Amino acid sequence: MEILIQIVLTGLTLGAMYALASVGLALIWGTLGMFNMAQNMFITVGAYGAYSAIGVLGWPIWLGLPAGLLVGALVGIITHVLIVRQMLGRPNFEMNIMVATAGVGIVLENLVLQAYGGYPYRQPVNITGSFKLGGVVISYQPLMIILIAALLIVLTAVLLLKTRFGRAIRATAMNIDAARLMGVQTERTYLQVMAIAGALAGAAGVLISSMSSLSPQMGADPMVKAFVICVVAGLGNVAGTGATAVVLGLFEATIQFYFGVRFGFPAMLGLVILVLIWRPNGLFGRKSVVRL
Amino acid sequence: MIFSKALRGHALIAVLMIAVFAALPLVVGERYLLGQIITFFFWAIVASQWNLIMGHGGVFSLAQMFFFACGAYATAMMVEYGGLSIWLALPIAGLISAASALLIGAACLRLAGAYVALLTYAIATMVQVLIITDTNCYQMVNNVCQELLGGATGFSGFEDFGFRKLLKANWILGNYYVVLAVFSVTILVTIVVIHGRYGLAFRAIRDNLGYASSRGISRFRYQMIVFAISAFFTGLAGATYGGHFKFAGPSLFDFSTAMMVLSMVIVGGLGSTWGPIIGTAVIMVIIEWMKEFGDARNLGLGLALVLFVVFMPGGLAAAAKRLADRARGSGKIGKAAR
Repeated sequence: MEILIQIVLTGLTLGAMYALASVGLALIWGTLGMFNMAQNMFITVGAYGAYSAIGVLGWPIWLGLPAGLLVGALVGIITHVLIVRQMLGRPNFEMNIMVATAGVGIVLENLVLQAYGGYPYRQPVNITGSFKLGGVVISYQPLMIILIAALLIVLTAVLLLKTRFGRAIRATAMNIDAARLMGVQTERTYLQVMAIAGALAGAAGVLISSMSSLSPQMGADPMVKAFVICVVAGLGNVAGTGATAVVLGLFEATIQFYFGVRFGFPAMLGLVILVLIWRPNGLFGRKSVVRL
Repeated sequence: MIFSKALRGHALIAVLMIAVFAALPLVVGERYLLGQIITFFFWAIVASQWNLIMGHGGVFSLAQMFFFACGAYATAMMVEYGGLSIWLALPIAGLISAASALLIGAACLRLAGAYVALLTYAIATMVQVLIITDTNCYQMVNNVCQELLGGATGFSGFEDFGFRKLLKANWILGNYYVVLAVFSVTILVTIVVIHGRYGLAFRAIRDNLGYASSRGISRFRYQMIVFAISAFFTGLAGATYGGHFKFAGPSLFDFSTAMMVLSMVIVGGLGSTWGPIIGTAVIMVIIEWMKEFGDARNLGLGLALVLFVVFMPGGLAAAAKRLADRARGSGKIGKAAR
């Protein structure tokens, strides 16, 4: 029982962080049809944003998360305006944008390295303390992470499903031409998507760094996992991505507990390979029928 | 055959280029520069094969560095454990890479583009993580534990081509000509593939999938064959890399290395014939030039990447073609220029 609680808690924490990191990625893929290879830096920059606001500028701690969200969104917007917007609709967009965003990632990583150095700072945005449940010591921090992630994802879902501009985003993702004909300003939709994705990634960065520490490379690992999650769920499927993230987090925690930490990630990837061979469009992906 | 003329033209350019490279050591004596040219050969091979499978075959493969590492590892292990001569190990390593490509291809190539990218990437990363985190000793070398697949440090210092004994101070020349030979074979075969039957099949598939299929061209089969060819030469390059640097380690899988080679392909021009080779040269010059800037080196590389992709879509090859077309007068579009 104690083991079960431990595994579930670790798995849910992992899943919550993965979900935040990957929902933005899925959103970008669904609407813009691009792999954002700079996602790792959206995550990292968000974490450093929160660190600067609290640790350097001395803002109150509860402003840490909003600071991360804001910085993430800002980077998303800048990336869109300077780069993505220029390249949309060009031939070979899918491959060129991968290289371009990877370039953005390299630039941002080095800017962070120049500004903060490689020292692994501690994220000041966290809470200490713990309580006991059935003989297991549970700290507040992972619970906080699960809570915040759930809140942000529900908020995003409400935004996408209930608001007018969420409907515009979904319409653009479904059929861009029809959306344009119905008066959706797709240019603005793209910008909003990049901002939301950046904000979510920034929040993910704050939460992830609160469990470990800050470093310019901290986003790389979550990005890879976010990619994996997006593929398993079926590219562009936002709700499926959130669910898959939690399931894969639990799966990873279980494997790590029973077979050792080293097999956690490889087992996850192995599962992905099996899933894709079994369902080529991901778990929640719909089979697209191509007419010749 | 309308394309045989283009084939002959490109083959002629290739032979000329190889001749220039073969004569280069007569002019260039500096060992550092020769070493850089050898490195250029390696990346140019990988880039050209990446272009072959991605630009022509239409397979968004991110496993190319896996094939490269596969060749290097196979060579290192055959030489280190099996005591095989490295000359025998090279082609076998290439074949092992090709075999792994057939295996991966069977699982991946029926998927849609972006899924292929991530699945191939997942396979490569999985192998890398498993190699790095392995700590079980396979044998002891000088009282240091050696894992079956080399662990986090990899293999180093195994037997190389043996030119150090044979040519003494000029050993690098021996390596130079070995790598040049591999490079030459690769480029010639690649040109034959691009401008021969396979290239024709891929152009047909790209132009009209339905019509091509109804004429009996199976996309899956052609992609499998070209995937294996590209993996063979990438693996061969990896094997030669292992022989030259006497090294095979998990850093070969690194995502940053993969992104560097991919950017060579994109900057040069995806889907062209000569783009990747030009792109390799350009990126290597940029990297070399950036070295002077110390810490800002990667910053400059990233900026250069972004600028190239944003302002020069289609890469240098497409830009050169546009320039050539304009010089030739508009309207006439060179059939074989790409």
